Amino acid sequence: MAQNISPEQSGAGGSSKHNDDSLPVKDNHAVSKRLHKELMNLMMANEKGISAFPDGENIFKWVGTIAGPINTVYASQTYRLSLDFPNSYPYAAPVVKFLTPCFHPNVDLQGAICLDILKDKWSALYDVRTILLSIQSLLGEPNNESPLNAQAAMMWNDQNEYKKYLDSFYEKHKDT
Amino acid sequence: MSDLNDLWLDVQKIFPILNGKITAPTQPIDEELFENAYRQLSKLGGIETLATILEMEIESTIRNTLAPRFWKHFTTDSQSTKAKSEAASNIPALTDSNALFFKFIAAIDELYDGYQCLQQIKPNLARLNKGAQAFPKSGDRKTNLHNALLAQLAPTFNSFVCDFYAVHFRLFTKDTSLSSTTLDGEVFSELPCVGCNFDHEQCCCQKLTEMVNETNRKLAKMDLIDRLAGSALTALIKLKIKEHINDTCLGIFDRSHLKKLETWINDIVMTWLTTIFSECKSKDDISEEKIPKSVQAFKVKLTYFMYETFAQNVISQFFSIIIDYPDSTPAIDDLKICMEKIDMRVLLTESLRSSLEARILHPGVNTMDILTGYVAAIKAIRHLDNTGVILEIVTAPIKDYLRKRNDTVRRVVTGLTEEGPTDLSEELAKGEFIKDGKDAGLNEFSNWENWEPDPFGIDPDVLELSSSKIIRSADIISMVVDIYGSKELFMVEYRNLMADRLLSQLDFNSEKEIRNLELLKIRFGESLLHSCEVMLKDVTDSKRINAHIHSNGNCDETPLFDISSMIISAQFWPSFNKESLQLPEELENEFKKFTKAYESYKGNRTLNWRPVTGRVNIVIEIGERVLEMTVPPTQAIIIYHFQHKNEWSVDELSSLIKVPPSALRRRISFWQNHGLISETEPGIFTLLEKASEKTQFEEMNVTDADEEDLESAMASASDQREEELQVFWSYIVGMLTNLDCMPIDRIHQMLKLFASHSGGVEFTQDELKHFLQRKVREHKLLFSGGVYQLAK
Repeated sequence: MAQNISPEQSGAGGSSKHNDDSLPVKDNHAVSKRLHKELMNLMMANEKGISAFPDGENIFKWVGTIAGPINTVYASQTYRLSLDFPNSYPYAAPVVKFLTPCFHPNVDLQGAICLDILKDKWSALYDVRTILLSIQSLLGEPNNESPLNAQAAMMWNDQNEYKKYLDSFYEKHKDT
Repeated sequence: MSDLNDLWLDVQKIFPILNGKITAPTQPIDEELFENAYRQLSKLGGIETLATILEMEIESTIRNTLAPRFWKHFTTDSQSTKAKSEAASNIPALTDSNALFFKFIAAIDELYDGYQCLQQIKPNLARLNKGAQAFPKSGDRKTNLHNALLAQLAPTFNSFVCDFYAVHFRLFTKDTSLSSTTLDGEVFSELPCVGCNFDHEQCCCQKLTEMVNETNRKLAKMDLIDRLAGSALTALIKLKIKEHINDTCLGIFDRSHLKKLETWINDIVMTWLTTIFSECKSKDDISEEKIPKSVQAFKVKLTYFMYETFAQNVISQFFSIIIDYPDSTPAIDDLKICMEKIDMRVLLTESLRSSLEARILHPGVNTMDILTGYVAAIKAIRHLDNTGVILEIVTAPIKDYLRKRNDTVRRVVTGLTEEGPTDLSEELAKGEFIKDGKDAGLNEFSNWENWEPDPFGIDPDVLELSSSKIIRSADIISMVVDIYGSKELFMVEYRNLMADRLLSQLDFNSEKEIRNLELLKIRFGESLLHSCEVMLKDVTDSKRINAHIHSNGNCDETPLFDISSMIISAQFWPSFNKESLQLPEELENEFKKFTKAYESYKGNRTLNWRPVTGRVNIVIEIGERVLEMTVPPTQAIIIYHFQHKNEWSVDELSSLIKVPPSALRRRISFWQNHGLISETEPGIFTLLEKASEKTQFEEMNVTDADEEDLESAMASASDQREEELQVFWSYIVGMLTNLDCMPIDRIHQMLKLFASHSGGVEFTQDELKHFLQRKVREHKLLFSGGVYQLAK
């Protein structure tokens, strides 16, 4: 009976049909609608290790949580992030930052993240879920070519040393 | 010296009271004697002194002799007869009450005589005083008497007065009741006289009446009626009113009593009072204007009392009035009039609440009966008070209670669509008319001239809490639907019930359904009932498609059996329960053929079969028996499998047709009842070739088959709710993962903001609290310091 699906519900994947060259629309309602939908998908998917939820009544500001990927030095650590969606979302990328201080080659001390899909490689096809998954995998596979944290980049090669430092760093900062 | 002695003797002759005697002088006082004494006294300048002595003497006589003597009548034997007189006041035993009666009369007589004597002193005293101008006017003797009497009031006195007037009242009403009821005089004469309780031959009513009148007159002369008898009289009349109301109005609601009661008060009680008070009228013209006034005041008081008693009477029976509602309208009208005069709201709400709780709000009462009571209460109370405030307060507990019953929604929806004791369907049909009235209520501010204040006498907090006027004046259907506070829930249940009806009665009455649907649409709006409309359309469409596929004849070989399908749009129907059934391959092929035919007809659509729901016409030939019946598919498949193999174990069959063993057993019992299958060994079922046991179960077939019909194909409302809650749970987990810990109102707010888009029904904070507490018990949440957080 797939034919009888109401247009509202079939719209779930509809955003993918949008063309990248179409101008960014400043339609708050459409954006918040898309964010509501993303939230619903995220809640229903119930994916392990990543999660996000609006921080208060404003649907444009979310808080995300990612668990450090297993089999990496970040395993069993959890990090909080903030996600700020612009009005032109999903044609412009959200601003994503670590709230929990994160010792990582591509994350600076203010929490800013150097990740291509959040910058020039952004596409409207990405959503909160894929962003969080990308950041999660970035933790285990840093890009040491363009480090924001040179110390971390240098230490990365010695995983044992790195792990020791990281653990003490995490213990010190995890509650801030 | 002898002069003085003589003078004193003379004075004593003139005023015998100075000797302590209160008897009247036997012969008229010699005028000369008086003149002589007066002259001598004035010569001595002793007139003033004498007057003062006289005054004091009179006063002390009253205080020390008259009053105690009067009270002695009531106190001497009060000790001995106390018990007796108490008993006498309960039982209208003739002798006892009459003894009191006569005693009272005797006492009054004596008092009157004494008073009379004292009065006779008056003119002489006045003459004395005339001489002594400076002497202050002596205090009113009556006042003295009153003071002295009241100061020594005997405790049992009231019961004497009561009895006295009770007798009087009996005597009085006898006349009026005689005039109205003596048509059958013969029967009447055999009974004792109503007035005096003697046999008719010895009736002494006449005599008694005279005595009473005499006493009354004496009392009136002394101005004592009001003082001595006032309170007793009032108490007596109140008692009589109560009795009368109980006698005439108890349990009779279908006619108005107020008018009759008012005439009763006027005709009987008031005339009686007037006779008491106006006994002296003819002789004492001073009080001519005063008496009607006091009676008038009495009347106002008594009329109010009558209203109050009557209202209390009606209120105490209000539950019965509600149950009888359309017939008991006159009683409600009466009460309405009373309520305009006296504020009885609090009493009404209190007593009604408690009687409702006692009578219908307990587990022994059917939900349907509670609903009937609720609807009747709405109608009756609305008739009484159209602002709806009382209604709101009184029905709140019913609503709370109904909310706790899980079949309420179903009953209401059934009531809406079928004929039932609640008349809900009737109300529904009236829908349009009421809706117009409702619109008028909406622009309350534009016709402010018609504004009416909230009724008084209700706790303002309650008013504050209760919803706006518009809701209060909502109609009955809204009141019923309002039990749950949301229309959606009812519409969901209506959809479920309709789905059941459509699926179980394949030849349903579409006209009636459509009519109901239209009526509901008027009331609840199109959008909520959209899916119901689609459901009805599905049914008619299915018929068309079936006809088309059958007529097409594109099946080359003749099919094994006819299929007629009900094609439903899953999006719009309530979700089905998750029963499964595996069809045998040869049967499934037929369905596949049908699907193919459908696909070729409808282009890019296909069918998803739901084999559990539906009806199968089967003919069973076994031994010499031929059974033709219509059964649910699962039963048909079970017996189908027995045609190849006579013996099945539950597990075997269960895995073959994919029905869980417990459910399978239940289905097999259907065939056991029909005498076709028996359980030869535990878990092993065998086909019975012979009809040996059949008759024994004949009776049971019918009921069991019916039961089967009632089984719903739909997921129950609570299952659906559970699913919705599951959705909310993932949101709650989401927010608590990211925002750590939150208080309940924040969670509720967040859910409202972000989760209501997922199509979930509204969710009250109370419900959320229960849900969260359950999760706490399941150790999925932690609750401390007023905030919830996820368990680690």
